Amino acid sequence: MVAILGVGTTRFTQKVERTIVSLGVEAARLALSDAGLAPTRIEGAFVANALGGMLFGDTTIGQTLLRDVGLRRLPIVNVENACTSGSSALWLAWNAVSAGQMEAALVLGVERMCVPSLGLINSGRTEIDTLLGLVTPASFALRAQRHMHEFGTTREQMAAVVEKSRRHGALNPNALFQRAETIADVLAGPSVADPLTRSECCPIADGASAIVIGSDRLARERGAGVRIDSVVLASGGYENPADLARWDTDTETAAAAYARAGIGPEDLDLVECHDAFSIAEILHCEALGLCAPGEGGPLAASGATSLGGRIPVNVSGGLISRGHPVAATGVAQIAEIAAHLRGTAGARQVEGAKVGLAQCMGGDLAGDTKSCTVAVLSR
Amino acid sequence: MSGGNLPPFAEGIFKADGTLAELVGSRCPVCGAQHFPARTHCPDDMAETEAVSLGGSGTLYSATVIRTKPPFGLPAPYAVGYVDLDAHPLRIFMLLDPEHTEDFRIGMPLALKSRALGVGLNGEPCIRPYFTPALKD
Repeated sequence: MVAILGVGTTRFTQKVERTIVSLGVEAARLALSDAGLAPTRIEGAFVANALGGMLFGDTTIGQTLLRDVGLRRLPIVNVENACTSGSSALWLAWNAVSAGQMEAALVLGVERMCVPSLGLINSGRTEIDTLLGLVTPASFALRAQRHMHEFGTTREQMAAVVEKSRRHGALNPNALFQRAETIADVLAGPSVADPLTRSECCPIADGASAIVIGSDRLARERGAGVRIDSVVLASGGYENPADLARWDTDTETAAAAYARAGIGPEDLDLVECHDAFSIAEILHCEALGLCAPGEGGPLAASGATSLGGRIPVNVSGGLISRGHPVAATGVAQIAEIAAHLRGTAGARQVEGAKVGLAQCMGGDLAGDTKSCTVAVLSR
Repeated sequence: MSGGNLPPFAEGIFKADGTLAELVGSRCPVCGAQHFPARTHCPDDMAETEAVSLGGSGTLYSATVIRTKPPFGLPAPYAVGYVDLDAHPLRIFMLLDPEHTEDFRIGMPLALKSRALGVGLNGEPCIRPYFTPALKD
């Protein structure tokens, strides 16, 4: 069994004038301090950053920033796996601790991307689809159009995801957006890729999140009560034709995570999922089994996924309101679930939460994802 | 404007014949699987593939109009979609006709064309294929 010993997340913002290294150092210090562990107790580190090489020419930053928090002479691995960079780093760390390779490991995700040179995110500049105009919002707009066509999902149901996200974000002091937005306001915004308006697309942000995980023995020593029951990482299937209204890779990764944790969707008290776009949360709710296939729209509109509802989804504000510093997101999701299980989530606390799930997806290839992660945590 | 002597946006993706165009894919001689874009080797059998024409007609599976700043000098707005090819069991991503951006509906028949459209990786003008609403018989 692997436990979470400490977590730390910076404010997610678009206004930082700080280096990647300084953001990462802040999150690492917060997590180490929360764990109450001296840096010398950490035996390995996995550092996720997706865009530093492209935007700043900053590569292999893990060693650079961890030197500043006293982590030296360790196995340090730098990780890039698109939007699952952070959760892939967790997967590596979880495996290392599970295998007895290390008693305690630091997982850090950090991104600085709010710079004029960013442009629209795509999935590889030289790929044929990219050259034919595929940008990430279009991938999800095409899913939304198909979901509306097959299941009768409405624009109002998709906008309800954003309205709920804004209410949750207002309760999270680290979130980028902390103001209410009505369904009418969401739909009145400019279209990015039909039918998705600007508010239905997650904003970029700068930020970092870190967690310290450790062995059973260390968890007992520290009195840490949050366990990681399973972490599954999978690439896509890339079969042709791809079904854009049902996400098999998502469903199968979730099924594997449930099976390894020995639970089902009915056991969950809260979910953090990769709501990069409004339709994405609807698709993920279906894949995670929170509702039947095709029923994600009505689920979003029903209030069941709000704080206080049957199964709160993205009470952090999710990507849509917390903001999406690419490599930090997958770690921040885990930190969020851990906070609820420890009862330290403040105004957005899911009361009595015992089991939580974090789902993340990254990249786009042949109508499928490049990477999907699902983790189950419990206390 | 046909584009005259401009280069295609990428090699080995399509062949233009007058106004109509057809897509080029690959076929595995062992398992028969077809791929688009073409691959030199079958990912399942590792056998060398042969080139195969995938035709230029299809049915629209999903479409969207992108209204943010376009990449590669594409028109603003521009439309893209996934298209089920009529003659082959493949669903492919493709540009849709910039002259008909608002006209695309799921299930409609489409025909492939090509013309000068945007620029390539190095900023040079180039030819891109796109599906347009098929003329009714």
